[in-house]
Amino acid sequence: MKNESNLKFNNLQGANKNPFSVPEGYFEDFPSRIQEKIVSETKQSNRIAQFFHVVKPQLALAFMIAGFAFIAITAIDAIMSNRVNSPATNEVYTRIIEVDASEYSEQQFIDILLEEEKKSSEQKNEETDEYIHYLMDEGIDYGTLIDEL
Amino acid sequence: MPDYSDKELLALFKNVEKRNYAFNLIVRKYQEKLYWHIRKIVIKHDDTDDILQNTFIKVWKGLDGFREDSKLYTWLYRIATNESLTFLKQKKTKYLLPIVDYENQLKETFQSDEYFNGTEIQLKLQKAILKLPEKQRIVFNMKYFEEMKYDDMSEVLNTSVGALKASYHHAVKKIENYFKED
Repeated sequence: MKNESNLKFNNLQGANKNPFSVPEGYFEDFPSRIQEKIVSETKQSNRIAQFFHVVKPQLALAFMIAGFAFIAITAIDAIMSNRVNSPATNEVYTRIIEVDASEYSEQQFIDILLEEEKKSSEQKNEETDEYIHYLMDEGIDYGTLIDEL
Repeated sequence: MPDYSDKELLALFKNVEKRNYAFNLIVRKYQEKLYWHIRKIVIKHDDTDDILQNTFIKVWKGLDGFREDSKLYTWLYRIATNESLTFLKQKKTKYLLPIVDYENQLKETFQSDEYFNGTEIQLKLQKAILKLPEKQRIVFNMKYFEEMKYDDMSEVLNTSVGALKASYHHAVKKIENYFKED
């Protein structure tokens, strides 16, 4: 056997014969098996095609709704993110005020703040006067008011 | 079985009423050639049977669009070769093994394979062939066993005739060395 194995490739006459075999009747049965498989595959693909034909409108509607929902969510998200960004805008305003503030003296700021305070206290007094007048006009005394509360 | 040429079979297939009959004739004409071509690549009978079925299903689906730019025979071989190579790749990824390991496993199956009736020399030759790189193996099988013309092989494998000749020459040298060394 060793000698036979050491033969050069050119001397391997007969080695090119097919060493494999198949189960009995394999090639006789194969054409009908393949036809059956093709028929069953065609039936299956027809069933799938039929299913898609039936559900196609519903699928289209579902995709449309999903699309609208996606657009709406994206739009809301964009609006919300703009709002979140607004402090950054305020920051810019603050920075502008800080820069421009150098043009005003400290006394001017104090005067403006005092004026604002005065205005608000005047407004408060006016409101209090209005309440007192109302209570007097309606004849509601302090005791009745406490009882109501 | 009537002896139709490929052109006649294709013309018959184009006739919708005779489509199934024409396809049956194509299967009968080429099943054996394609079976042995696939079998020499994947070795096991069961795997060959699966690949042959897939090949003919692809042929059935694609035959309508076959434009006859190439011969029917080389087109069928191309599908069978691609299916076999895809199968080997899937095996490789499935077991996370390099392809060489899968082919080493195949070598061990010869002895236990009830559908391998080769002589000692034929067994040794098959083992030597399994040591070749995938492409060289296919080229060698097509030339040595199937005696295919280089022009047809060139159409099937989409490789130049020169490259195929070189590939076959390298394969023969490697097999000779395998026999010398052992």
